[in-house]
Amino acid sequence: MADIICDGKTTRDINTEIKRLIADGKTDIRLRNPGARHNLGVAILQPVKLTFNGSVGYYCAGMVDGPTVGIKGSAGWGLAESMMGGTVIVKGNAGNGAAASIRGGTVVIRSDAAARLGVSMKGGLIIVGGNCGYMAGFMAQRGTIIVCGDTGEAFADSMYEAVCFVGGNIAELGNDAIIEEPTEEDLTFLESTLSQHLPSTDGNSQTAIRNFKKVVSGRKLWNFDKDERAVWREAL
Amino acid sequence: MCGIVGFLNKTQNSNAPVGKTVLTMLTALGVRGPDSAGVALYHPPENGAFTLQIKLGELDGAAERGTSIAEGVKAFGSVHEVKTTAEYLRLVIDLRGEAIPLTQFIESLDEDIEVVSMGRELEIVKQVGTPQNLDETHSVSTFRGTHGLGHTRLSTESRVDLSHSQPFWAHNYPDLAIVHNGHITNYHKLRCIYEQRGVRFYTENDSEVIGVYLADQLSQGLGFKEALDASLTDLDGSFSYLAATTDYIGFAKDPFAFKPLLFTETDDFVAVATEEIAIRAAFGDGSEVREAQAKDVSVWQT
Repeated sequence: MADIICDGKTTRDINTEIKRLIADGKTDIRLRNPGARHNLGVAILQPVKLTFNGSVGYYCAGMVDGPTVGIKGSAGWGLAESMMGGTVIVKGNAGNGAAASIRGGTVVIRSDAAARLGVSMKGGLIIVGGNCGYMAGFMAQRGTIIVCGDTGEAFADSMYEAVCFVGGNIAELGNDAIIEEPTEEDLTFLESTLSQHLPSTDGNSQTAIRNFKKVVSGRKLWNFDKDERAVWREAL
Repeated sequence: MCGIVGFLNKTQNSNAPVGKTVLTMLTALGVRGPDSAGVALYHPPENGAFTLQIKLGELDGAAERGTSIAEGVKAFGSVHEVKTTAEYLRLVIDLRGEAIPLTQFIESLDEDIEVVSMGRELEIVKQVGTPQNLDETHSVSTFRGTHGLGHTRLSTESRVDLSHSQPFWAHNYPDLAIVHNGHITNYHKLRCIYEQRGVRFYTENDSEVIGVYLADQLSQGLGFKEALDASLTDLDGSFSYLAATTDYIGFAKDPFAFKPLLFTETDDFVAVATEEIAIRAAFGDGSEVREAQAKDVSVWQT
């Protein structure tokens, strides 16, 4: 275990120290008093454990591949943006664009996520214990989004092959998003995933799992068809 | 990119260190807007007296303009204070008549003069430079009161000077102030409508229209929250803005959530800021912070 006290240090100081500790063979690093600084713990490519004991600012754990990042407070915009692999767990709320464009790994937001959650994701798993804001899952290509609470408007707009599950209300489905009956396999996946990542919620009880709605692409926007001009007029 | 902050002390203590709190939050956001800094602070009313912060102008002759204001305003009421600090003249006056004719008289004395704020509780000071510079000039950190707004500016379109800085007082509507982060894309259209009605615009800054708009809505009888709600459809573009009067402080966020704005509320205070870094700098790690959603309007009574 190694500690970094963030007080009085710049983001660059802190990130340099993280990399130095990893190079020294440390695998469990705690960061005290991050004070919501931006760009902390970015581009970490080793399977180490990083724990922030407070809130972080923008782009925390962006472009990482492998680490397990715990955030005891909340996170600003662009949490784990473009991550390749690893796990990021936020105890509090996350700002706009959380897990945008990720290609792999798992992002767990125990409370609420703001707008544009998981937009353009190309793989990986996003779990939100609470609600998510406007336009989550926009143009998501692959991967899975699970929202245990309610979603904002334009949910799952213009998606490709990503799959979303929603435990609460969907304020409004996005263009070409459709609700599909979850399969038994989906329900098993939801139960095991939620009990693994959100052990303290009641989301994993059988009845609650059965209430989850599955949202996928209606595939009407995948290819242009001039006979479906109305669909495009609506979407654009 | 700008930084905006708002703070309300909920403990009924009308003598809270609002200036220090707003300045601490603003300093943490200094990197978002190195061009200028400003605050709009609300103190308890002083037996109905109006406080005016008046820009004397950046050209020569400021002292003479100050003297002519001090002489001229005697006709409007009993003057408690006339004090010059940097480009500003601070005037405290017990008015015999309406407030607006006084500001019109002051501004008629010289085209360089602008009444930056007027109200029974509101005081705005703003200038080019950092929040620290602002404190050095105006001792913002010693100001005590109930609530306040702050702004650090990174100019994207209009010029960098005192008048184009924020907060904006909604001219001709005492005690109403706003701070804005974003762009109002139907600014020219709205400005044209208001100018045809005789409203004077003091700057080329699109944010100025928000104060004018809210003053118009409130004058028509809308409540504070209703006015902010209405702005979600009447203003186009990207905005997170805060507005305050003697009785309310609140924020609105545009329908696309283009601009950041987050808030925290405890039993003792409400704090709103562009970035959490401002809240942590002023209040430590205790409270839960939440990003405002698209179309969110939240209002608190002071």
